[in-house]
Amino acid sequence: MELQQLIAEGTLQPFKGDRIDDAEAVGVPLLVRASGSATIDVATRQRVHLVVLHDTAAASSIELRLGEGCSVDVTDVYTAECYAAMNVVQAEASCYRMVAVLLAGAHADYATQLNGAHAESDMYGVFVAVEREHAMVSVNTRHNVADCRSSSLVKGVAAGRATGEFRGMVYVAQDAQRTDAAQLNRNVELGAAHITSMPQLEIYADDVKCSHGTTVGRLDEEAIYYMQQRGISRREAERLQIEGFVCDVVSRCEVESLGTMLAESLNEKLQKL
Amino acid sequence: MCESVRKKFVLSHFFCIFVRLLCRNIAIGYWAQRRVTRFMNNDNQNIIDKLEKSDYKYGFTSDIDTEYIPKGLNEDVIRLISAKKCEPEWLLELRLKAYRHWLKMKHPTWGHLDIPQIDFQDIIYYAAPKRKTLSSMDEVDPELKRTFDKLGIPLEEQMALAGVAVDAVLDSSSVKTTFRETLAEKGIIFCSMSEAVRDYPELVRKYLGSVVPYADNFYAALNTAVFSDGSFCYIPKGVRCPMELSTYFRINASGTGQFERTLIVADEGAYVSYLEGCTAPQRDENQLHAAVVEIVVERDADVKYSTVQNWYPGDKQGKGGIYNFVTKRGLCRENAHLSWTQVETGSAITWKYPSCVLAGDNSVGEFYSVAMTNNFQQADTGTKMIHIGRNTRSRIVSKGISAGQSQNSYRGLVRIAAKADGARNYSQCDSLLIGDKCGAHTFPTIDSHNSSAQLEHEATTSKISEEQLFYCNQRGISTEDAVGIIVGGYAREVLAKLPMEFAVEAQKLLAISLENSVG
Amino acid sequence: MLEIKDLHASVEGKEILRGINLSVKAGEVHAIMGPNGSGKSTLASVLAGNAKFTVTGGEVLFEGENLLDKPIEERARKGLFLGFQYPVEIPGVTMANFMKVAVNERRKAQGEEPLSAAEFLKLMREKSKIVELDAKLTSRAVNEGFSGGEKKKNEIFQMAMLEPKLAILDETDSGLDIDALRIVATGVTRLHTEQNATVVITHYQRLLDYIVPDYVHVLYHGRIIYSGDKSLALKLEKEGYDWLINDYKE
Repeated sequence: MELQQLIAEGTLQPFKGDRIDDAEAVGVPLLVRASGSATIDVATRQRVHLVVLHDTAAASSIELRLGEGCSVDVTDVYTAECYAAMNVVQAEASCYRMVAVLLAGAHADYATQLNGAHAESDMYGVFVAVEREHAMVSVNTRHNVADCRSSSLVKGVAAGRATGEFRGMVYVAQDAQRTDAAQLNRNVELGAAHITSMPQLEIYADDVKCSHGTTVGRLDEEAIYYMQQRGISRREAERLQIEGFVCDVVSRCEVESLGTMLAESLNEKLQKL
Repeated sequence: MCESVRKKFVLSHFFCIFVRLLCRNIAIGYWAQRRVTRFMNNDNQNIIDKLEKSDYKYGFTSDIDTEYIPKGLNEDVIRLISAKKCEPEWLLELRLKAYRHWLKMKHPTWGHLDIPQIDFQDIIYYAAPKRKTLSSMDEVDPELKRTFDKLGIPLEEQMALAGVAVDAVLDSSSVKTTFRETLAEKGIIFCSMSEAVRDYPELVRKYLGSVVPYADNFYAALNTAVFSDGSFCYIPKGVRCPMELSTYFRINASGTGQFERTLIVADEGAYVSYLEGCTAPQRDENQLHAAVVEIVVERDADVKYSTVQNWYPGDKQGKGGIYNFVTKRGLCRENAHLSWTQVETGSAITWKYPSCVLAGDNSVGEFYSVAMTNNFQQADTGTKMIHIGRNTRSRIVSKGISAGQSQNSYRGLVRIAAKADGARNYSQCDSLLIGDKCGAHTFPTIDSHNSSAQLEHEATTSKISEEQLFYCNQRGISTEDAVGIIVGGYAREVLAKLPMEFAVEAQKLLAISLENSVG
Repeated sequence: MLEIKDLHASVEGKEILRGINLSVKAGEVHAIMGPNGSGKSTLASVLAGNAKFTVTGGEVLFEGENLLDKPIEERARKGLFLGFQYPVEIPGVTMANFMKVAVNERRKAQGEEPLSAAEFLKLMREKSKIVELDAKLTSRAVNEGFSGGEKKKNEIFQMAMLEPKLAILDETDSGLDIDALRIVATGVTRLHTEQNATVVITHYQRLLDYIVPDYVHVLYHGRIIYSGDKSLALKLEKEGYDWLINDYKE
């Protein structure tokens, strides 16, 4: 991933601070290179897009504190095998939206605390694990107060002798009434790969709408036959189908040039299948 | 409530069960008609009546002269149990091996349960009615016979009329098994475990522990060490068991742990439907129950195992109640089919995961469950589907209902082994919350090692719908009644898997268990 | 172009095709008719190479080469096109991407350079007009959320893009209203030349009003029991199959 190019173009701006209170002045998404521990405070009613890059094997932990009414987009990109934790703490009416793309066998641990009413969290993630990689995405969403909404969708592809792992948790505290939470994990397993999925619900309030779902599937043989009949090789038909499976997550990245770059990197990786 | 009224109520209630059992088996048509009539005229009223009565409906104690082994557990106690049952050496050895292994094990802590410290030395591991080896009905202890009457299982009438053979387990020792002759004609063996050990030692030795080895888990080890009795059932090759087999478990002696051991073997191409139903007397001190049920489903065989569990759940303050730590598992060979259906309304703590090991190609496992908790009850229940053979299929439908301050968890595992080509699983786990002090939790694990597998798990959690309640209220149905109706509808998919008479019973149990849960 | 000789095929051990003989030459249109379950769709699937069916005997030559030993995609690249009765939905894979890969694979097999993005888009626009396919549909995922009519139009659109030598259209008329039927059938006719051939599998004569066949074959119980010209279709429409199949009933 040549993010340097995006910086040179002025599409991204490197960021090393611990507080964002005038994002508008910058105007472009901020690039954070993850390493060690960092805390970033986003001030009240700020709108900001953060691009977090994990390109070294170092472990990292980022705590992101969303002030009241702020709106934060995060694109979390893994190009190196590493361990990373992202803890998001949301105040009232804050809005968090994340797209995570694991291009390496990384361990991505997401924990979100919804601490203020009307906070919203939407998380999309995708991993492609090949050869002997082990990719792991954990999404732990805690509804600590009433009237919050959260959703997550994690799509996984594991091929070769790789392992793909999903751990999910939606926790709803006793007073977190009128919670609306949905969690979905969908996986495609190829070759001698291994998929583990543990979505969990822990619910202590009654006036809630909570659901989770998980699927582990194979490629659709009928679709492969159809594509082969149009002259497309089996290998290519499989790749097209997987690309179709993962592309909707990447397409949610709102920095267009970054989204294109991510899609290309994913496709490159899919060629290895 | 006055004691005599309560007894009368209990009597009449069991009479109802009995009538239904009878009717169903004498003439299905007559039964169905009767059922419809009962539904139309009485059912709603019955539920309302029961909702108004807040105590445990099945609590009574019978005073039978019971033989005890003193409290506590050590190798001598195990030797004594084995000796009292005149067991062969190999079984004693198995018990001792299990006990020695158990000593090294730790109490499981992974459940979403708050389990008080259990003093395993403060438990009586063996209690049996003193008079055994009866040659005729006349020899049965009159008090015991009366207990059976209360249970709705009058032996003499059963023998004459009912089509359901009931192996009534009172405390730990089977007293009387009926219908053995009818079953014997087909070569079916249905008897107590003690009798099986005595009469069919080779069969027992071959299969006991083959599905649940003693080292499997803490309570399976304990059960193997001290199991008192239980049921044994063998259906020979190609035989369809002509009646539903059932066992009424009943914990009776105060402070007696119940360690039942059930072994069901359906040989190649055989079929059996087995019913297990439980009610227990009201007690203040907690009682431990750690049963093991093993099912061997040989090639092409089909076993349906249904449970309605309504042991004493403790009082409204969470005092007392049964601790129910059960290991249930079936092993399916080629083309075999095993279906578990359970309705769990009782016990203070339930820890139970009826599972299927789908070892043979094309075998099918099913798990249908309704688990209801109220007051301070805790349940952590679910299933494991272990796909080993090719084209194995499994289906899980779990409906949890939490009310009061209870905690209700579904815990499941679906594992697809590397060689299980074409394996499929579908799981649906729903939770319903009634009241804002209870909890509903879902902990599934999916683990796939084969890329041709297809697995799907869905779970939802919601509260009882205000609109539905309002709609019922507007039609003149009381809120409590409406809750009963709505919950019955919610659980319907599972209840429909039960044999008919159980389904009716189960629906009532759901309504009764929910009493006072709606504000 | 296509020579089928004593073709036998079965599915899950059950024999469906019991000795098919058929010869199709360039420039010809053949119609295969027959009652339900006679093996029409099986024949189409076997020719395309669907792995569900096992060929148990006979041979098939396509342009003089053995067809049956070739994988599905190679048959397709050699110019065999199957219009599916139930086109599958492929979520996430856009029509444009899908067609681009297919067209370029075909070109590669013929020793041609891949099309540039601009050339490809131009080709898409051109060909989509043949079946009046909504341009918006080409940016959607393959067949996903398409109506029945759109799916069938999409099949003919793909046929136009790939310019096959032999097109086998399996019940392309089923589930179409009269307007869609006209559009689809006119599209097929427009694509027909003296260099290619079309085999239409159908239940109904009405499609043959638009696509006029040179030969009509009746398939029954896995064999072609009767062949004639286009008048046979009209006779079948009026009189049904009974007069033909009475002799063949088991």
